[in-house]
Amino acid sequence: MVRLDNLSKSFRGRPALSGLSLEIGRGEIFGLLGHNGAGKSTTFGLMLGHLHPDSGEAFIAGYSVQRERARAISRVGAIFEAPAFYEYMSGWHNLQFFVSLSGIEPDERLLEIVKLVRLEKRIHDPVRTYSHGMRQRLALAQALLPNPEFVLLDEPTEGLDPEGIQEMREMIRHLRDERGLTVMLSSHLLSEIELLCDRVAILHQGRMIFCGSWKSGEKHWRLDLDDWSKAAPVLEKSGAVSGANQLVSLREGGDMADVVSALVHAGVRVRGVEVVKATLEDFYMSHIIP
Amino acid sequence: MRLFMHQLGGELRKLFARKRTFIGFGAFLTFEIVVLFLLRLEKVQATVRRVIENAGYDASVYLSGLTLGFLIVMWTVLLLEALFLALVAGDVVSKEVEDGSMRMMLCRPVSRGRILLLKAIVVAFYTFVLTLFVMVTALLAGFINSGIGGLFVFAPLEGVFAFHDFWPGLLRYLAVIPLLSLSLLTISALAFCLSCFNMKPSAATVITLSVLFADSILKNIPYFDSLKEMFLTYKMAVWIHVFDYRIPWETMVENYAWLMAINATLFLIGWQAFERRDFKS
Repeated sequence: MVRLDNLSKSFRGRPALSGLSLEIGRGEIFGLLGHNGAGKSTTFGLMLGHLHPDSGEAFIAGYSVQRERARAISRVGAIFEAPAFYEYMSGWHNLQFFVSLSGIEPDERLLEIVKLVRLEKRIHDPVRTYSHGMRQRLALAQALLPNPEFVLLDEPTEGLDPEGIQEMREMIRHLRDERGLTVMLSSHLLSEIELLCDRVAILHQGRMIFCGSWKSGEKHWRLDLDDWSKAAPVLEKSGAVSGANQLVSLREGGDMADVVSALVHAGVRVRGVEVVKATLEDFYMSHIIP
Repeated sequence: MRLFMHQLGGELRKLFARKRTFIGFGAFLTFEIVVLFLLRLEKVQATVRRVIENAGYDASVYLSGLTLGFLIVMWTVLLLEALFLALVAGDVVSKEVEDGSMRMMLCRPVSRGRILLLKAIVVAFYTFVLTLFVMVTALLAGFINSGIGGLFVFAPLEGVFAFHDFWPGLLRYLAVIPLLSLSLLTISALAFCLSCFNMKPSAATVITLSVLFADSILKNIPYFDSLKEMFLTYKMAVWIHVFDYRIPWETMVENYAWLMAINATLFLIGWQAFERRDFKS
């Protein structure tokens, strides 16, 4: 559905994204992780044609965003962190306006989407009277019009209360499961990504440092050692990968008993070994702070 | 075409749903009333009467609603309409970029050129509607105050000094509406062009007004007399020659052709700047 081919972008000589390549399959929920300024919004901007890349190309449904933008994004819906509607117009008129840029949609179709995001009671009120959660739902409604196959969600749960977050999560799942949409989303809330995404990519300082599936609950070990610098080569040799927060994971076929034995033989004091069911946060941190 | 008209309708709705658009119309009404009040002052009336009578005409005929309407328009256009057009046209792209709604528009499969074309048409429409409003309300205010009569036009800088009977005068007054709109379109085009660049909406407005102000001052400096016809404000003031006894059609067509060419060039410059821009949060 989506292919990013060596995308690079810099602003005033400062690289914001360097050589990003990835693919997203149809019906997948893909998460984009990274700190502020890691390149998430730049990636979205390049995928929607808001930004011109220094090099590389983005393809959506086989069409190049850079060369055939209208075709490429004809089946794309997007939400931004802070959706900007026309405050003085009603939600309904906002939807009518944005959808008119894609084509002419009957009112019945608009109403169907409005009902889906549960805004029918307030849709004719001016947007300035909407709460943050209602704006996000309106943003989702405009993203779902006319009929996207691929939805880009930039921080869709930003500023929502816990109920709103859960509602949005259910909505995203529904979009994939019931409507077969492909979803790409970024969020600071790692727990959200953890609950929703099939695969994640981690961006750090404009570079992709991980891309793949991440299994919730994967086993890690927290080691309490007296000398980590002495332990590092031993861990490497014995098939363990050390990460942040004293966490260690094993390569395929590795055994923690062998690792501990190797450490002891190398003269490293092992004060404690604790099994940790890793969260996405641990996983993310272990990649960001190697 | 149907889709284009649908999109144009959406853009127009956006413009006319804003309170600010109507505040502009309200401001004009207020300003017209102020100008009318000034024109009713005995000292001002005496001056106008003296000018009319010195030319051998009857002041009771030519100090009429039509003449007052013309004087109100002269003042209003000079002082207020330029400002409002610069404000609205300077806002039309840059404000949407600043607010973030432009990014949402650009999430749609619509080209940047089309978005700009829609906005340019809306700006042109607004320019025409505002001019129509100013001219019609000025005329109504003049009729209410001074009744029906002949038209006296005196514009020393443009060298127009003319008297017309009511019906020919009214016809010329109405003919000015599209011509003045065309002239003022250049202000809108300049502000619109600037708003396509990466700048604050207020910057586009201020630069537009500064350019017009500087152009107007330079035009009246004797040193530039030989180049006078090249100045933007000279070309924009050509509408007033509709009130000449013999309308200089050739000069008017030439100047309007220049203005249209300038407007088209400004649109193209704005479009190219807009095409090359990056839109980020």
